[in-house]
Amino acid sequence: MALQQRLRGRQAHTPGATFAAYTPNGKKLITVGVDNFCRIFSTGSDDEPVTVDDCQENNTAVVAGNDFFIAGSEDGTVSKYSLSDHKLEDIIVRTSLPVRDLALSPDGNWVAVASDELAVKVVNTKDMTQVQYLREQPRAVKHVAFDNSGSRLAVSCTDGNIYMYSLSSEDPDMLKKVDGMIRSLESDAEASSRVLWHPDGRAFATPTAGREIQVMSFSDWERQKTFKTGHSADITSAAWSPNGALLATTSSDLNLCLWDSQTQKLLKKYDDLKATILALAWHPTENILSYTNNDGELFIHTGIVPAEHSTLLQKPLQPAPFFHDPSEGRAGNAVNLTNGTKLDLPERQVRRAGTPDSLDDILGPDGLSDDGMDGFVVDDDGAGYAAAINGHGKRTNGHLGALQSPSGKRRAYGSSATFKPQAHESFQPGSTPWRGNRRYLCLNLAGFVWTVSQESSHHTVTVEFYDREFHRDFHFTDPFMYDKACLNDNGTLFSCQPHDSNPAMIYYRPHETWTTRTDWRTNLPVGESITAIALSSSYIVVTTSTNYVRIYTLFGIPLRVYRTKASPAVTCAAWRNYILTIGNGPVAGDGTCQLLYTIENVARDEIHQSEDIVALTPNSTLSSVFFSDEGDPYIYDSTGVLLTLIHWRTPGQARWVPMLDTALLSRLSSGQKQESYWPVAVSNRKFHCIILKGQDKYPYFPRPILSEFDFQMPLTSARSGKKANGGAKDADAMSDDEDGGPAEGETQSEQSRLEHALLLSSTLHAQLKSNLTHPTASPSTHQLSLLADLEVQINRTLLQLLGHECLAGEDRGMKALEIVGLFKDEDEQGRAKGKMLDLASKVATRYGREVLGAKIREVAERRMAGVGGAEEDE
Amino acid sequence: MALPLPPGLTPPEIAFLCEMELVTVIPRQRLEGLELLGGSLPPLNPPHRTAMPLWLALLLKRQRRANILPPPWLSPHSLAAILEHETDHDDTFSPPPRLPPAPSSNALPFSAPFLSHATADAAPDALPYHWLELGEMLLEAAADDFEDPDNVRKLLRGLREVRMSKLRKRVEDLQAGGGVDMKGVGGMEVSEGRAFVTGVIDNLRRIGASLEQQRRDRDREETADSDDDDMSM
Repeated sequence: MALQQRLRGRQAHTPGATFAAYTPNGKKLITVGVDNFCRIFSTGSDDEPVTVDDCQENNTAVVAGNDFFIAGSEDGTVSKYSLSDHKLEDIIVRTSLPVRDLALSPDGNWVAVASDELAVKVVNTKDMTQVQYLREQPRAVKHVAFDNSGSRLAVSCTDGNIYMYSLSSEDPDMLKKVDGMIRSLESDAEASSRVLWHPDGRAFATPTAGREIQVMSFSDWERQKTFKTGHSADITSAAWSPNGALLATTSSDLNLCLWDSQTQKLLKKYDDLKATILALAWHPTENILSYTNNDGELFIHTGIVPAEHSTLLQKPLQPAPFFHDPSEGRAGNAVNLTNGTKLDLPERQVRRAGTPDSLDDILGPDGLSDDGMDGFVVDDDGAGYAAAINGHGKRTNGHLGALQSPSGKRRAYGSSATFKPQAHESFQPGSTPWRGNRRYLCLNLAGFVWTVSQESSHHTVTVEFYDREFHRDFHFTDPFMYDKACLNDNGTLFSCQPHDSNPAMIYYRPHETWTTRTDWRTNLPVGESITAIALSSSYIVVTTSTNYVRIYTLFGIPLRVYRTKASPAVTCAAWRNYILTIGNGPVAGDGTCQLLYTIENVARDEIHQSEDIVALTPNSTLSSVFFSDEGDPYIYDSTGVLLTLIHWRTPGQARWVPMLDTALLSRLSSGQKQESYWPVAVSNRKFHCIILKGQDKYPYFPRPILSEFDFQMPLTSARSGKKANGGAKDADAMSDDEDGGPAEGETQSEQSRLEHALLLSSTLHAQLKSNLTHPTASPSTHQLSLLADLEVQINRTLLQLLGHECLAGEDRGMKALEIVGLFKDEDEQGRAKGKMLDLASKVATRYGREVLGAKIREVAERRMAGVGGAEEDE
Repeated sequence: MALPLPPGLTPPEIAFLCEMELVTVIPRQRLEGLELLGGSLPPLNPPHRTAMPLWLALLLKRQRRANILPPPWLSPHSLAAILEHETDHDDTFSPPPRLPPAPSSNALPFSAPFLSHATADAAPDALPYHWLELGEMLLEAAADDFEDPDNVRKLLRGLREVRMSKLRKRVEDLQAGGGVDMKGVGGMEVSEGRAFVTGVIDNLRRIGASLEQQRRDRDREETADSDDDDMSM
């Protein structure tokens, strides 16, 4: 309180609009006003300020770097002054109309000038011939604001829209026009519509027409939390504290309020102001807020944050107030911080003391080095060319593999310090992370479950079905905040994490019953959280943080509990009696954990595959795992490959077969489309997915339609050249009669189509056959007919291939004979029937290949006479 | 003569024929398989896509039992590209979709229910024969299944006008007794152009015929004169 007593206004300028800015190092505070000088106050000293003369009059904005500051004036001059000798250095740019706002990029190299002209100029502070023009906005601009990286500029236009530009490329391009956030204001109004970038860089806030501060996330342009300021007049200025934990707002109702960012609660209100504050400036490190009003006065308010809240200001960088933090992963995993250090403000942390003459000391901090455009290389697409900086201001070794440590002296610390295996994070198949206030809990071919978080700490869950007639959609208020769900034709399964004193819980709700109430909940032991759940038509599987797999019947009878051998558990899937669990296994050569899966039959208590490897390529992750409608396990990985498991019922025989490589799809072969595929299911031997355009990783609302793709095993890459513009999916429509292309190419493509069909149907045949012939299987007539169909399909394809070879010429006879050997021509007992060989010899005869025909008959005779597998042994 | 209809197919008849085209739907309800005259329909099982004739798709759409997936060439992007092609090339129409290679058997499945020119996997860069009527019908019955129905409507309108004006301009060539390349012209356009083109040709023929008649008359008169001369002789 003693500090507050000492607060007194300093008459910095003659009465009139006055603005202030701190230098990034916090040593100096610069004020500009209506009169023709600027003042430089030193932090922590009550001495008379230094006055810089030879300024313009009626200054409207000021920004400061560590050794210079830039002021803009109503006569259109933007001047740069040196802080070392307090002299005018340069006139950076002149505008024909009054300057309204300036913004300095964090590296101090670029200044954005907003004036009553339509275009915003972004001028290099060191070389004023380098200018970028931003011209998308149709009217004058009131405010400009650089984000923390300096690569994005938010332009608040007087038409009530925010124009967001990306400056990372040579030519600036507009990222987004955000409407409905700010109010349309006159360019000389006292009220503010400035975009306030939150220091964590993922969100920004603006004063709204309702005199509130609205936060919006940058990545998805979703409205996040709101500060209900309760100002009775327009907000004239607002500022985040340097660590983002506090927000200061002020308005022409002569109040100055401090808000807690996380709770949006009022911490302190100062209502003893004499004049409207026009500029708020937080000291970069200390508990000081300086502000200037429209009466020429400057207040340096030390101890602005009351002692009971001042710890807030000491905290490291705080996340922006999202409804749901986007980094809150699919399973709520913590963010991986680089090198294990906490993300911190560069200015606030304890820096490691520099060694004498270290390179950093000589060159100065990175941000303000003299390297012109280099500061503009910003890694906004995650390509990794601008290295992230860890808490100590050093580049991390994130670009190296998990086990690669720099050679040399680090070795001395011993390997245990650097040995950090990367475990695969757990996920729930078919769910998406929070975006804004909603997310999908489950999305499959039966329907979809989504949840909306409401402000008063509950969610509303909606379950919708594709088949509207068969099931009715329902929705309910959810006080438990379920974060995982499974949906099938029988019922819906939900689970929630433990919170407060409540343990984790699972909740099953059947769709139709003949009793009045059959939904049930069951609690897990205290402290156990759920990593994944799965629902089949007869069992419920839950994997937990304590590495237990818990299996329940559909009506809640706990059937089995066991600890997984592969831990921590990643995910699980279930189909009828079969359950598939995936966990992190031993660490592979590249430092990541190998994923291991186990498939078991719960009804027979029999393990089909135990701790077998999920075949992923290095540096790829598992995106989804599910059973197809025929009951075969499928996985989809981050490289866009769909794999299935064949022969999985026999222990040790299982192997992963790629069924579709989405990177090789012909729709991508033109190279113009940028899209990814979000896996949903495999059904009817088709891959069902959601096509995501651009950089999106997860589907969002409104629910996009499902697309389906036929299997396409990666044999050849997509057709190139003239065929690529056909764009059609299947090979038939691709061949064109237009240009009458060379018949050679057509035969070639026809042949590769047949070869692919052969491989695909043999794979499916092998999979189905091994499933049906397994001792535990009881094949249905439908399955048997499917198997017979596949067999016919294989033989037909082989005959077509044989026809091609015969047509090609006599000298292809060897290959033709090889094809003959591939026929599936056996009855149930494994004896050759010889029917296909008869057909084959007829084909050969028809094309006049008598030698081949004779050889085929020879093979047929040998087979008929000989022991079953004679030629296989050769 | 009792039939007052003009020769050729009327627009409603063409629209009727167009309803034979297969379109892709996403059913919202189960339906058993149907044995239709045009072929059998597989059982509908949401949300699996199914190709079915347009008339049935429209019926299910009106009953809100299905969503129709517009063919790729009806997307604003493709239509804009085709429109650009039409305006750039003043003398030809944009090419029709490519036909599949002829199958080995002697059947020629080169018409509606056997070719999928309007399903979700049709070529995105070519207008099929029934493009205008199909587009209009889908926009009328299933506008909510389009991403940007107003834009599609506008582009269809633009395409129609460009192509009709081309068709009319072509008629000038007919005078010389030459033919007109009708490749890529749609069914409805043929029907609309028919009245005009046949009218023009008919008039040309009539003019030609009257000229012929005059010449013949003159010839006859000349011979008659000579006959008279003979007689007089």
